[in-house]
Amino acid sequence: MAEVLLSEAERTFIIHGVQDNVRADGRCSEDYRHMELETDVVSNSNGSARIRLANTDVLVGIKAELSPPAPGRLDEGRLEFFVDCSANATPEFEGRGGEDLATEIGNMLSRAYDNPHCLDLRSLCVIPGQQCWALYIDVLLLECGGNVFDVASFAVKAALHNAKLPVVTVSEEEGGEMNLELSDDPFDCKRLDISHTPCLVTVSKIGHNHVVDATLEEEACCLARLMLGITTEGTLTAMKKEGSGSLDPDSVYEMMESGKKVGQAINVALLHKLTEEEKLGLTKRQKGFLR
Amino acid sequence: MNLRNDGRTSDQVRPIFLKSGVISQAKGSAYLEMDKTKIMCAVYGPRQVRREDFSLQGQLTCEFKFLTFSCKYRRQHQQDNQEKDYSVILLEALEPAVRLEKFPKAKLDIFVTVLEDDGSSLSGAITAASVALADAGIEMYDLVVGAALRQNGKMVLMDPCGPEEYRPERAPAEVNQGSITVGLMPSMHQVAALALRGELDQQTTAKGIKLCIETCQKIYPVVQECLIQSVKKKLAEQKPE
Repeated sequence: MAEVLLSEAERTFIIHGVQDNVRADGRCSEDYRHMELETDVVSNSNGSARIRLANTDVLVGIKAELSPPAPGRLDEGRLEFFVDCSANATPEFEGRGGEDLATEIGNMLSRAYDNPHCLDLRSLCVIPGQQCWALYIDVLLLECGGNVFDVASFAVKAALHNAKLPVVTVSEEEGGEMNLELSDDPFDCKRLDISHTPCLVTVSKIGHNHVVDATLEEEACCLARLMLGITTEGTLTAMKKEGSGSLDPDSVYEMMESGKKVGQAINVALLHKLTEEEKLGLTKRQKGFLR
Repeated sequence: MNLRNDGRTSDQVRPIFLKSGVISQAKGSAYLEMDKTKIMCAVYGPRQVRREDFSLQGQLTCEFKFLTFSCKYRRQHQQDNQEKDYSVILLEALEPAVRLEKFPKAKLDIFVTVLEDDGSSLSGAITAASVALADAGIEMYDLVVGAALRQNGKMVLMDPCGPEEYRPERAPAEVNQGSITVGLMPSMHQVAALALRGELDQQTTAKGIKLCIETCQKIYPVVQECLIQSVKKKLAEQKPE
C-alpha cells in the first residue's frame, strides 16, 4: 500500500485512541468515512461506477463480450477481474510497482465472487457449450487513501447493478448453424440481479481492538487485517487474513462478528442508494470527474 | 457412522509422512505426503538483497507452484493467479513466525512445489515450509501448522482429498458450501493464516475455524517428531571422529 511515515508518538496516539474506541478523525471503530457514488460515468462500457471514499478513488468499468465458456462450466457465463493500480494514485505504483497490490485485489474479488449463489451465471449463458457472456470487470485505482479493497468491492457491486447487457436472440439456421442477433434498441437490455453479491469489509487489528475502514495512518499501525466478503444475508463468501502479524483466535471471532454487522449494513445502504439513483433516471445530474 | 471414500471419519486427517533435509543443495528442505498429495519445499538463504534499500528486518519471499502435471487439468509453466494468491497466503503465514530481525539486509527464499495435488495443498504447503525453515536453522518463534476443512451443508470434512474439495461449479447453490484453510502457531495459539472461499454463515465459519485449530494442535507432535528425528540423524552422522 502507499507508504506513510509515522513517528512513535503518532503510532502510540492512534493505538491508544482505538483502545478507547475513538479514532484520530473522531469516528467509532465501526464507522465508514464519507462516501460518494456515481454510476454510468463511462458511456462506452456496459456498466460503470465510481466511488470516492475520503481520499480513495476507484473507477470500475464492465465490458461484456460474447465468448466461449470456461471448460468445466459450459452452461455458465464468466467473470474476469482485472485491477490496475494507476501510477496517479501514488508514486510507488509507477511501472510494475502496483502489480502486487493489483493482483491481491483481483484475487480477493475473484475469491469473493467464486460461489454459485452470488451472481446467477447461468443467466449469462447464450448457447450452452458455445457462447456465453463474459463480463470483464476492470477496476482502476485512481487515488489511494487507505481501504482500497472495500472501495473496489463497492464499486464493482455498483457497476454490476448498472450493467446493461443487450438482449440476444438465438435462431437456428438451415445446416444447424446458430445465428446470434443482438437487439438494436438501447433500452432493450438485460440487467443483473446483485441482491446476493458480496461487499468486502476489511477489519484491521490495531493494538487490542479492531477498526473498520482504516485510514493510511491506521493501516501503518496495523499488523494484521481480516478481509471478509459479506452478503446482505450475513453470509461470508470470502475471508483472508492479511499482514505480517498473527491473530488470536478470539480476536478472529470478534472481528468476524464486527465485519458481518458492518457488511450487512453497508450492503443494505449501497443497494438503497443505487435504487434511488436509478429512479432519478434522466433527471439525474451528472457530476462526473469534476469536483 | 458415515465413512468417507477412503474410510476416514469426517474429522480424521490423512496420515502424514514428513521428512526434512531431502534437497542437498538447499539450506533447508522438507517433503510432505498426505496420502496422494505430495509437496516439496526448499529454503535458500539468508542471502544478500540486491537492492540498495537498507532494511533492519530480513525479507521473506515465497513462491508457490503446482507442477504442470500435478493437477487434474494441466497447469501453465508461469504462475497463474491462484498460485500467486497461495504464495501471498503462505508468505503471510510464515512472516509472524520467523525472527526477521535476525538477518537484516538479507532475504530468505522459500520455494514450495506441489508434485501431486490430491486436496489440501495450501495447508500442506504451510506445514512443509515451516519444517524446511526449521531444517535450515532459521530462528523462529514457533512452527506454523496448516489444516484445511470442507463444509458441505451440515457435513464437515476435515483434510479434504481432491474429489472432496470445494468447486463452485459442482457445489449446490446453498449456504454452507465452502472451504476453510487455517495456519496455526500451536505453542503460541495464534492464527497465522486464514482463508475461506464459498459461502458460509458466521456460526459455521467459527465452528470450522475451531475445528481446524484443534486439528493443527493434533498434527503438531508429528511435525515435532520429524524434526527431532532429523536432528538425531545429523548428530549420529557427526559422531564418528
